[in-house]
This record gives sequence, C-alpha cells and structure tokens, in this order.
Amino acid sequence: MEKREITFRIRRFNPKKDPRPYYQEFKLTVPKGMTILEALQVIKDRFEPSLAFRAFCRSAICGSCSVKVNGFPKLACKTQVLIEAEKFGTDTITLEPLDNMEVIRDLIVDWDRPLSRLKELKTYLIPDPKVVPQSLDEETRVYPEELKKYDRFTDCILCTSCFSACTASQMEEEYGGPFQLARLYRFAVDKRDALKGERAKIGYAYRMWDCVRCEKCADVCPKSVGPVDGIMRLRGISIEIGLKDNPGARHVLAFYKSLLESGMLNEVLLPLRTKGLKGIIENLPLGLKMILKGKAHSPILKPIAEHESLVKVMKAAMEVE
Amino acid sequence: MEKVAFYPGCAAKGASKELYESTTAVAEELGIELVELPQFSCCGAGVLEEVKEVLDLAVNARNLALAEREGFKRIVTVCSTCLLVLRRTKYLLDGDDELREKVNGVLSEAGLEYKGEVEVEHFHWFLLKELGEEGLRERVKNPLKGLKVYPYYGCHTVRPYQVLGFEPSENPQSLERIIRALGAEVASGERRLECCGFHAFWPNPRGSMVLTGLNLKDARSVGADCITTPCPLCHMNLDANQKRALRAVGEDFSIPVLHLPQLIGLALGIEPRRLGLHRNITPVNC
Repeated sequence: MEKREITFRIRRFNPKKDPRPYYQEFKLTVPKGMTILEALQVIKDRFEPSLAFRAFCRSAICGSCSVKVNGFPKLACKTQVLIEAEKFGTDTITLEPLDNMEVIRDLIVDWDRPLSRLKELKTYLIPDPKVVPQSLDEETRVYPEELKKYDRFTDCILCTSCFSACTASQMEEEYGGPFQLARLYRFAVDKRDALKGERAKIGYAYRMWDCVRCEKCADVCPKSVGPVDGIMRLRGISIEIGLKDNPGARHVLAFYKSLLESGMLNEVLLPLRTKGLKGIIENLPLGLKMILKGKAHSPILKPIAEHESLVKVMKAAMEVE
Repeated sequence: MEKVAFYPGCAAKGASKELYESTTAVAEELGIELVELPQFSCCGAGVLEEVKEVLDLAVNARNLALAEREGFKRIVTVCSTCLLVLRRTKYLLDGDDELREKVNGVLSEAGLEYKGEVEVEHFHWFLLKELGEEGLRERVKNPLKGLKVYPYYGCHTVRPYQVLGFEPSENPQSLERIIRALGAEVASGERRLECCGFHAFWPNPRGSMVLTGLNLKDARSVGADCITTPCPLCHMNLDANQKRALRAVGEDFSIPVLHLPQLIGLALGIEPRRLGLHRNITPVNC
C-alpha cells in the first residue's frame, strides 16, 4: 500500500497563555486514504494531547471539522492527506483555523458571529397561514418541482468554510455572508413562507450587492451548495419586488437594455445607466483616458448580426415559467 | 490547426481593445485561425442571471448553438467571465435534460437548437493544449529574459473548479508554465488567486479598489516588474484603475499590467504597437 512521510505544520494558539500564534511540526507516515482528521487524531493521541480541534460525525455531515488545509477551507474528515500533498506538490501539509473568525484555541474558531447572523437574517420558516395548516391533522405538500428551486440550498451543513473564504465578508463586517444569504434565498422561494420575496429586502439591507462573485464560496463548499448562486437569485427577486433604484440593480438593467438594443454591452452608457450623473462624474478621469487611448466606442452601438434572433430568445425566456 | 470560433467578449471589443489586437496578432503569428461569429452576443457577465436564470441560460445557449450551427467544435474566449458564463450554461444544460429541453424550447423561437457538442475554452488553455510549453518555447523569438512576471489569475479563470475544470483551482499553474516558456521569471505572491473586486465596482467602489490595491501591492512586494492576467476585467481594475486602487490602500507607485496575449506577443517578437501596448493606461515600457 502506498505510504508517504508527511510533515504536518499546525498552527497553535491558546489566547489564554500564548502571546502569539506559532506553528508546530509533526511527522507521520501516512497511508493512502488517511484523512486529515485521522491524522489529527493520531497526532493528538501519540504526540500532543493538548492539540485542540473540533470533530464529530466523520462523515461530512455535521460540519464540525472545517479547517484550512494549505490555505483552503475543507472538512478534515472528507479530505485525504495524500491527495492534498499531490495537488500542492509537497510533503508538507499546513493546517490552520478558518479565517474571518476569532480563534478559541488551535484549530477551533468562534462560530458565534456567522451563526448569529443567521438569526438576524431570520433564516427560518415563518409559516404562511394561508398555506400552512394550523393543526397537525393536515400536511403542507411541497412538490418536487417546487423543491427543486431551493433543494440544494438545504444541503448546507453550517461548516462556515464559505464564510472563511468569502471576499466580501473579509472586506465588510455588515455583509450578510455567503451561506447566510443563500439560506435567506432558500426561504424566499419556499411556498410555505409568509415573507417570501419580501426577504430580498433583508438581503438588500445586509448588502448582498457587495458580493464580488469571486466564486470562492462555490469552490470551497464541501456539499456543492454554491451559495453565490442563491445570492444572485435573491438579487433577482429584489429587482422583481421593486428594489430597482440602486447601483446593483441598475447595473443589471443596463446589461438587459444593452442586449435588447444591440446585443453587446454599451460600456459608454454604463456609468450613466448605473449611477446617473454621479457615475459620470466619478468615472470622468478614466473615461477621458479611454477616449485618448482610442478605447471608447460610440454611444450608439451597431447591432450584432441576427440581432432579431437574440431579441426573440430574450422575450421568449422572459415568458417562460 | 483546426479552425475555432472566437468569442472575444464585450471588453475586448471595447474598453480593452488592446486585448483584441494582441490576441489576433498572437493567433496569426502562431497560425491559429480564430473565426469570430458576427452573431455572438454579450454573455451578460453573469448579471442576466439576476434578471432571470432562464434568460441567462437562453442568451448563452444561443451563443453556443450558433457556434454549433456554423460547425465549430470549440469556442475560444479571452475573457474569464465570458468563459465562466458560457461554461456554466453548458455545464447546467448538459447535466439536466429537463432544463435543456426548456431552454431549447426558447431557442426554437429563433430556429436554433443547442446540442451540447461545442466546448468552451480560454485562449491560454487552448495554447497549452495545442502547443504545450515546448511548442510555445520553440516559437519564442525574443525570450523575456530577466523579466519578473506576477501571474494574476482572476477568479473566473479558475473558480469554481466544478464548472471550469481545466486545472486545480487551489494551485493552478497554467500562467506560470506560460511565463516560463516565454523565458521570463515567475514572481508569484499570496494574492495571485484573490479577487480584484471588479464585479462589485458599481455597488461598492471603495471595496473594489481596496482589493485591487492589495493585489497591486502584493505584486510590488515580491519584486515583480509587471503583472499579467488572462482576464480583461481584472485588467481593467489593475491597469485602468491602478492609481485609484493604490490611493485606496495608501500607496503610490506604478506597475505595468499586461494582458496575457500581450506578454506572449512580446516574446513572439511582435511589435508592441500591434499588441496595443500603447493603449494600456499604466505605461508599459518595452
């Protein structure tokens, strides 16, 4: 059986006694198939009983054991040591606590902030009395095609890997967060919910337009939830319910209009359409440079060939249920 | 080499004209026939999804179907966001018969059908697949000896892996391989896979500029002479918005940012003007 000696470089920190975090190295002979969690357990049992990490189900379902492996958030129980070593072309595996949260000890972070955000965003079912019966004698049926709208967003196991990697969450404290906003979307399209689309207003207040679409949340999610897709759909709902007069929504509508007009994005009108006069003033120096460099097109774009076929497709798509 | 459909994207057709110029110059030099279909529309940069998901899928399935109609097996693009949007359409439609039927129902209004036969690739993936590093190295006339280049990927070049799949999103090496093949040195840093904030530029310009500023700072701190990126949107932030981005992080310096085809073009001995280097906002001295 394939075996390899691997050095585990683990970030240690006990805020109660260590002045600052430090790294400790452990060497293990790792057989094929051994997971990061199994390795951590061996290290704890054999070498360092004080090493702290969270774990429970060992089946990628409880979401407890998320840690950073060579810089990327992963479930320790689902991640094999040798596959990671191969991917990074190294015999050293660095294990660190998740980002964006305070370290309680070693690989354990404080989940309070991201999880309390779930409560703030009201990401739980608020039953619609018109749909959900008042007594337990009757049931509310959810049909497969209704479930399909949000099914995958119910797979989130709250491991906070996406929150750790999220660019917008790192930048802006007030940003709602990836799994949190995706869960908000999940209830916004649940037919049993009383708030439904109105939930997009909560997303708006929690700055969902700050998502930079870096796709990190989609990439790191161990359950392939893809929170970003939920956030995009929640933005769409916000436009549907009339939250249109903001740069995010106006930017979307500028694209839509451009495609109907010519089929290509009208970059020259984008600042005006997105932010009005302010958009022009803010971007004037850059606009002038673009003109000088011969990079600005005419404000009226020539339509693409067979533009009428695009218009037909767009109109038909808007009518599809 | 087989003919491939060329999907330049709105940026290369407009504010990043130099990307269009350098890509076509490099393709010509390497004997690659890129055929631009005049019927291609804007991909919607992912924001059409925010109007309605089926709209986003239908507009892009139309692009894919047009390439299929014209007999192409491959679409090559030079924009990472176009790459993601087109590939995502393909990924979703190829994996869900019901959805594909629904979208094809929409396309039938325009007499089109998406069959799932066409592939979508980034220009530099295409180069690596067709020529490889060795093939590219053999064509280099002007090795970029001593030039330290920071490889800046851009999110949609690598993430999500599930949709893009060309190389591991956590440790991609395509840019490093190309930089070395051109005779230059890699000056990599910890932000090579970070976001430039372009897609939040309108709702949150300050945040967007801070991200770009941090990336520029990282390139500078590792001693890079220039940055190269395969994404024109990252390029817009790193190059055109450079001054503003550096101000946002309290810095003031200048570092040239080259579209990947511009860098390749220089090594192939193509004259700078044909590569549109005079159009970069941050000056490039070469």
